[in-house]
Order: sequence, then structure tokens, then C-alpha cells
Amino acid sequence: MSDLVSATGAAARATDVLLRATGGRTVMLRMPAPAVPTDVNEQLGIATPAFQDIPLGPVVYRKARATVAEGKAAKWEMLVSATVVENLVGSLTYASASVLFSAAYGVLSDDELLEIVSATQEQVFGQPYVYRLVLRAPLIQMA
Amino acid sequence: MQNAKDTFYVTLQSRLAALNSARTIVVRGVVRPGTLVEENELPSAGVSVDAFCLQWTGLQMNSAGPLPLVAMECSIQYATDGTPGSGGMDRGRMLAAMDAELAAAIGAEPHAVAKMNYSAAEAGSAPTAMGTNVFWADPVFSAATAVGERLERTSTVLVFAYQEAGEL
Repeated sequence: MSDLVSATGAAARATDVLLRATGGRTVMLRMPAPAVPTDVNEQLGIATPAFQDIPLGPVVYRKARATVAEGKAAKWEMLVSATVVENLVGSLTYASASVLFSAAYGVLSDDELLEIVSATQEQVFGQPYVYRLVLRAPLIQMA
Repeated sequence: MQNAKDTFYVTLQSRLAALNSARTIVVRGVVRPGTLVEENELPSAGVSVDAFCLQWTGLQMNSAGPLPLVAMECSIQYATDGTPGSGGMDRGRMLAAMDAELAAAIGAEPHAVAKMNYSAAEAGSAPTAMGTNVFWADPVFSAATAVGERLERTSTVLVFAYQEAGEL
């Protein structure tokens, strides 16, 4: 039975259903274009990369309210479907989900760009079924 | 000031790459020499290990001469976790190697290069040389700090340049 569950990705599909049932929505993952080799203008901040917004969903904010501490930027926690992350890793030819999220510039949610502070995954039988992103609001909104 | 910062970075990067071409970092999918200026990159919470990260901190200007003399403090941060193959037990040696590379690159003669203007150049074309030089002092190394398994150090260098007329 356990082999059947791990082989079919049932946990990931069950998580997708749960995410959709609990108000799952779509946000945009903002990815910078690859750097230009040997272009010193990019290294000097003269030329800036183009960005591409990629749909990421279903996702759910773990709490309705951000975690706020005085003097620090508000933080959000977002649960992301492992199915869509695995698809993105494959289609964008990244080595792993951690590389994908570390390369991303941020998550665009309701016209607000949130920085990805950390990305961790939950696994069952060695297969990720959900990713947990900790997001930071822009400093301009600091309490 | 910006031209002096750009010139110092490009000079230091090329000297460090010549000393150890194996020290590289991956930035947005591209491998490049392991030196970067933090303010020129996308904001990131991550720390680049085994690479030199430049930050421009202090700034002083002396207007007594015919051209204003600008003194800028460049903080060069670097950190290492050692190599996974040795369980991180070589992190002291890795940090010492980075100390030596940085000291050699900054201490190498000459201590001055012609100031270049990179912002006026078109993409792919050569920068233009300006009328004055950028020059710098010897580096000052702070004490190494251990954060978990990571060893970190900051070195500061005073970089001097004359502010030419019309220069940003």
C-alpha cells in the first residue's frame, strides 16, 4: 500500500485538492532572465535583466494575517502545490525546487512583490507534496 | 564617484580571477568570477559563500584642492563553510586562502589605475578612460567571526579618486 501511495503521487494530489478546497489561488512567480555572460554592465548595475511572471497555483496563505513585529517587515507564509513546482522545475530546466526559488526575484501577489525569504518542503515517502514559502513584504510597508 | 567604484570593482575582480580562476559564483544561471558588488545585484536574503562581496560604506570628500578628493570605504565581506567532503574541517584553511588572495590582489602593484567610465559605453563596447586615476590603500582585516559552521571576515579598503568636472 505504501509503495502504491508513493509511486502514484497521491499525497501531492490530495494536497492539491486541499489547497483548492481551502481557497487556493494563483500568484505570480517573478523570475529574472538569465544573466548575460561577460557583460560587465550587468555586474555594475547599468543593465538590468528582464523579468518574466509565471503563474504559481494553487497556493494558500497559511494565516490570514501577516506576522508583524515592530521595526521589521511583515512576513507571510504560503503553501504551494508540489505538483506545480515540479512542473516548473522541469519546464524551466532548473536543477531543483530550491534552485528555482533561490533564483526567483519574488512572488507577485495582489500587485505586491514579496521577497522569498526561505523555501522548504514537506515530504512523504521521499516525495515532496507541498512547499512552504516564507515571504517578506517590501520595507516601505514596515510598521 | 560611481566611475571610481566601477573601476575599482573591475580591477579587483580581474586580479582575483587571475590569482584563482576556480573561485566562481553562479548568478542567475551564469558562472562568473567570485566577486560581486552587493548594491548592483538583485536583493537577496542569501549569503554568497566562497566569494567576495563588496559593499560601499563610508564616504568623505575633501574640497581643498583644485579637484575634490573623494575617499570611499569599500567593505569586502567573505565567508566559507569549508568543503562538504571534509565535513567543513578545512574552513579555516579556506578562509586563510581567501585572506591571501584578497591581500595579494589589493596589495599588488600598481596601487592605482586609470579611472574608466563604464556607463557612457554602449553594451559590448569598451569603456572610456578618464583624466584621473583611482588609487587605494592597503586592506584592513577585521577579526574572523564564526556563525554556526560558517567563518566570516570583513576587510575594508580606502579607495581614493578625484571628482572630475561633470562626473556623477
